[in-house]
Amino acid sequence: MRNLILIKISKLYLVVMIIFSVFILLRGHNNPGGGFIGGIITSTGFIFYGIINGSERVKSLLRITTIELMGTGLMTGIVALIIPVFSGLEPFTGVWIESDLLASAGIHLGTPVLFDTGIYLVVTGVFLSIIISIMDVVKWN
Amino acid sequence: MSERLIAYLPLLASLMFASGILAPLLYKPFGKRLGLLLAVFPFLIFIVLLLLAPKLGSSSAIVTREFFSLAEGIDFSIRADGLSLTFGLMISGIGFFILLYSAFYMKKYERQGQFYLYLTLFMGAMTAMVFSDNLMALFIFWEITSITSFLLIGFDHHLEKPRQAALQSLLITALGGLTLLFAVILIGNIAGTYRISEIIDSGLKLGEHPQALLIFIFILIAVLTKSAQFPFHFWLPGAMQAPTPVSSYLHSATMVNAGIFLLLRVHPFIGDFYLWKGTLMVAGGITMFLGAFFSMGQTDLKRILAFTTISALGTMVMLIGIDTSHSIKAALVFFIVHAMYKGGLFMMAGIIDKSTGTRDITRLANLTRGLPLTTAATVLALISMAGLPPMLGFIGKELVYEAKVQLPGLSWLVLPLGVGANIMMVAISLTIFAELFYPSVRKQGVPFRHTEKEFPWYFPAGTIILAAAGLVLGLAPGLLDKIISNALLFSGNDDVRVKLSIWHGFNQVLLISVLTVVSGVVVFIFRHRVMPLISSLIRWFDRLFLPDVFAGAIKKYVEVAARSTERIQHGYHRFYLMTFFIVTMLLVAIQTFFSGMPVIETSGLSTLKLHILALLVVSSLAAVFAVFSGGRLTAIVAMGVVGYGVGLIYLFYGAVDLAITQFLAETILMVLFVMVMFKLPKFEKLSSRNSKLRDGIIALSAGAMVTLVVLNARFVNVFDPISSYYAAKSYVEAHGRNIVNVILVDFRALDTLGEITVLTLAAVGVYALFNIRVRQLKEKEKNQ
Repeated sequence: MRNLILIKISKLYLVVMIIFSVFILLRGHNNPGGGFIGGIITSTGFIFYGIINGSERVKSLLRITTIELMGTGLMTGIVALIIPVFSGLEPFTGVWIESDLLASAGIHLGTPVLFDTGIYLVVTGVFLSIIISIMDVVKWN
Repeated sequence: MSERLIAYLPLLASLMFASGILAPLLYKPFGKRLGLLLAVFPFLIFIVLLLLAPKLGSSSAIVTREFFSLAEGIDFSIRADGLSLTFGLMISGIGFFILLYSAFYMKKYERQGQFYLYLTLFMGAMTAMVFSDNLMALFIFWEITSITSFLLIGFDHHLEKPRQAALQSLLITALGGLTLLFAVILIGNIAGTYRISEIIDSGLKLGEHPQALLIFIFILIAVLTKSAQFPFHFWLPGAMQAPTPVSSYLHSATMVNAGIFLLLRVHPFIGDFYLWKGTLMVAGGITMFLGAFFSMGQTDLKRILAFTTISALGTMVMLIGIDTSHSIKAALVFFIVHAMYKGGLFMMAGIIDKSTGTRDITRLANLTRGLPLTTAATVLALISMAGLPPMLGFIGKELVYEAKVQLPGLSWLVLPLGVGANIMMVAISLTIFAELFYPSVRKQGVPFRHTEKEFPWYFPAGTIILAAAGLVLGLAPGLLDKIISNALLFSGNDDVRVKLSIWHGFNQVLLISVLTVVSGVVVFIFRHRVMPLISSLIRWFDRLFLPDVFAGAIKKYVEVAARSTERIQHGYHRFYLMTFFIVTMLLVAIQTFFSGMPVIETSGLSTLKLHILALLVVSSLAAVFAVFSGGRLTAIVAMGVVGYGVGLIYLFYGAVDLAITQFLAETILMVLFVMVMFKLPKFEKLSSRNSKLRDGIIALSAGAMVTLVVLNARFVNVFDPISSYYAAKSYVEAHGRNIVNVILVDFRALDTLGEITVLTLAAVGVYALFNIRVRQLKEKEKNQ
């Protein structure tokens, strides 16, 4: 069953969800949100897309496999935790970019943000991996 | 000067490690020349050590400051004294020849890159071990040698026997490694430092310490296992399954000698323990005699050499056990002697194997024709092994005898054992010479496949140069005086005067030597009667003896483990859940029983608001409905209602993050359920009345327990709540106002890292399980 309206909506929904999840990810430090929630929101976008277009389309859209996505996320997280070592601090310490320009705009960038991005990627990868696997088995195409 | 020289050591050692790790990659461009290339590193180390040796003086050790620190108290620094130099020179010198030798010997093997990887790592670890100034670093390198030797012994892993031999040696030496770790920790706790130089300088004596027995036993097990001493000696002959270069390296200067090194290293601070003498003397004495005795019954050249190695190791352990300056000096000299002749002889065995295709001494004869240089070198090495002049072996044996003769009290026991072992050594040396090289008319040996001329120069180089070095040192033993005297000082001896010479004058010792040689010749003449006798003895011994017992024990252990695992891990999800809930409830019940029944405190609870009450009623009804519903879809939807209800409660009490997560997770769960629903088997009620009742009781009491625990938990504050700290620090230090998120990604980042790792692993598991199914489906489609 190919429903043009649904296909169009699913694409739009996916884009909106990704933008919204990035927003949630970034606001997470000060307001409800964060990597975990952002990751789930992204995956809902992909799941909706997958339900309508099939898992193969999701795979080709992602370009990398979900396993690689999770790996990238874990790696990002670990890198974020190790970065402090290079500034002579204990690992796991938060390191922040000291910049008056950014601070005056109310923006603080640091390794916790990077770590949160890692969580975001891992969660997205985990959910997508499970859902795509199930779709493959039940032949949802 | 010496400081500058020693600075090259860590550099060279790291280069060695690095080149070892890169060996599989380097194999492509360099191919068969890789062995020659890698040989550069031990050669350079040997040169540096050789230049360092004269600088050392007789009473000083060079200790560098740490250049790398693994953790508090575990730092890597170099300690160069006579002891480490003696071992280091042997390890790097023989290692150089072994790598040259491997370059030809391993030519036809597959996976040569890996071979050089293991061998070079082993060599590097061994070198680093003897130069470590930190007991922990020593332990780490000790373990690396165990693991790499496991890989080397089992290098032909497509065959059953090498695999078994490798596993056996790993299990036994790993046991020793574990006890060594315990011993190191105990010593470190008592001394307050792991640095050997500090421990020695502080003049610490552990002999009277209450924990001395424990430390000694741990060290003893480490030494007995690593150095293949009775009753752990049986792994060594098995290790002959390794390629010959490995055998000749492991059993001449390295691996098995690590135990000897450890004994000498710890001797200054635990050598005064009262069991030191007796235990080591007995273990070493038995090993020395058994090894020499059993070597007579073998026909495989490598196995003969393996048993003589066991015997030599026993001699060294026994000498250290005798614990006089004389005996330690004898042990050190004997180590050098043994490393030189044994390295050469093992390589000789490999050369003969390559040129004739067999190592069976009953099938070999008249080898002199094709292998003249090897023969000459082997004869020199055999003279050294038999302990005859003018080789260094003679000096070594004389010192050993002297130490035994001068032993107060116990020489009546030790001396006959030693003389017996040496008689066997003389006999076996003569046997090897007679069977392999002596021009014989009666025996028709196997024909040559290759003669010496067809080999490249670097293949027999090791055998020849080691034999020549033994001869030179035998004629000018004074070269060793200084280094051994320094080694004596740092293995805790008062009398460090060393004056090695080949002629001691007519004395008791010389008399015993002559007696030994004569008896050896007698045994040799009657060898055709003696050898079958010994082989039958060995067969009898083997039947009730350790390799089988050991293998049996391991097999039994695996069986028991498999059976108990099957019982615990039955694979039924419902029983796992039941076990989990019942055990938790029992624990809580026991705890409440002992600390008094819980009183539900109602004061301090906020009043129940109407919308919360409504939510609770709806959720509870949904839960009940889910249990009793007749269809799958209705049950799932009802569970969804419960989930959203819980999410709403979170929301009403201000846990926004949690609520969002709950809603999202609940939604995705719904989607998943709906997706797979049509693929699930028909919904049926299979449980009997009784099991329903049982499940109901467990579920209700688990719920009751959790409720009680939660209601009481708010009164339990073992520590001050940490939330105020987070609230105060969250914005100031972590630039975030959302405390939950700040805790997740900053304060408790390690926890989160663990969580996302677990998530990933779970997803990978799901992926793997499903993909097996997907592949099956695809194959089925293809077949149709």
